[in-house]
Amino acid sequence: MNKNGDIVELVIPFKAEYVSIARLTASGIANRAGFNIDTVEDIKVAIAEVCNKMVKYKSKTAESYKIIFNQTLQNLTIAFDCEDKSLKCMFDNEEDKLAISLINAFMDSVLFCPDDKVLFVMSKSIEGNN
Amino acid sequence: MEELRILEENGDGYTKIYITGEVDIYSSQKLKERLYKIVETQKQDIKIDCAGMNYIDSTGLGIFVGVLKKAKEFGNDISVINLKDNIKKLFLITGLDKVFNIE
Repeated sequence: MNKNGDIVELVIPFKAEYVSIARLTASGIANRAGFNIDTVEDIKVAIAEVCNKMVKYKSKTAESYKIIFNQTLQNLTIAFDCEDKSLKCMFDNEEDKLAISLINAFMDSVLFCPDDKVLFVMSKSIEGNN
Repeated sequence: MEELRILEENGDGYTKIYITGEVDIYSSQKLKERLYKIVETQKQDIKIDCAGMNYIDSTGLGIFVGVLKKAKEFGNDISVINLKDNIKKLFLITGLDKVFNIE
């Protein structure tokens, strides 16, 4: 592993049938990072909730969005990005409360619309969850 | 991914529904249509057996809440039974453990 960690990128269409692919990928990466089975399940839930929003508010111009997994020795960080920056702040609606409560409960750090580079970033510490 | 399956069985004064597989944004429409149909036609209490349900997201949880509201309109109730630990955790986090009878 280099000093910035290992990076895996997944590009998937804005379609509901592909959310399970994101879950499977997350499961494999979280397992490889050394998380225990319960935490792997939690990470899968959190990622799927963001994917659900991506699918719901899908871009009018872009065909797909990108999930960037960055594993370091300490953390697994997951960022969501899309060429279409108009997708910013997808979690403004009242009906998103269930999703937000799950994401916040399962991840250590959650940043909604952190900057112009990505739409959403969340991370989980490996220590204490392995 | 395990395909979502929904089975229905009539008990003594209630309808039992067995959900197996995964409930996500893709499969949840199937669950929604089936549960609403059962609630509207059976008009009696419902027990949802989740022993075979491996995964559910907020879309699925939202459907459970909507179906419960519909059942209450008919004066009926919904119990959720045999939840796996990872799914019971979702009910606790979202506060739905206080909304549903969980056995």
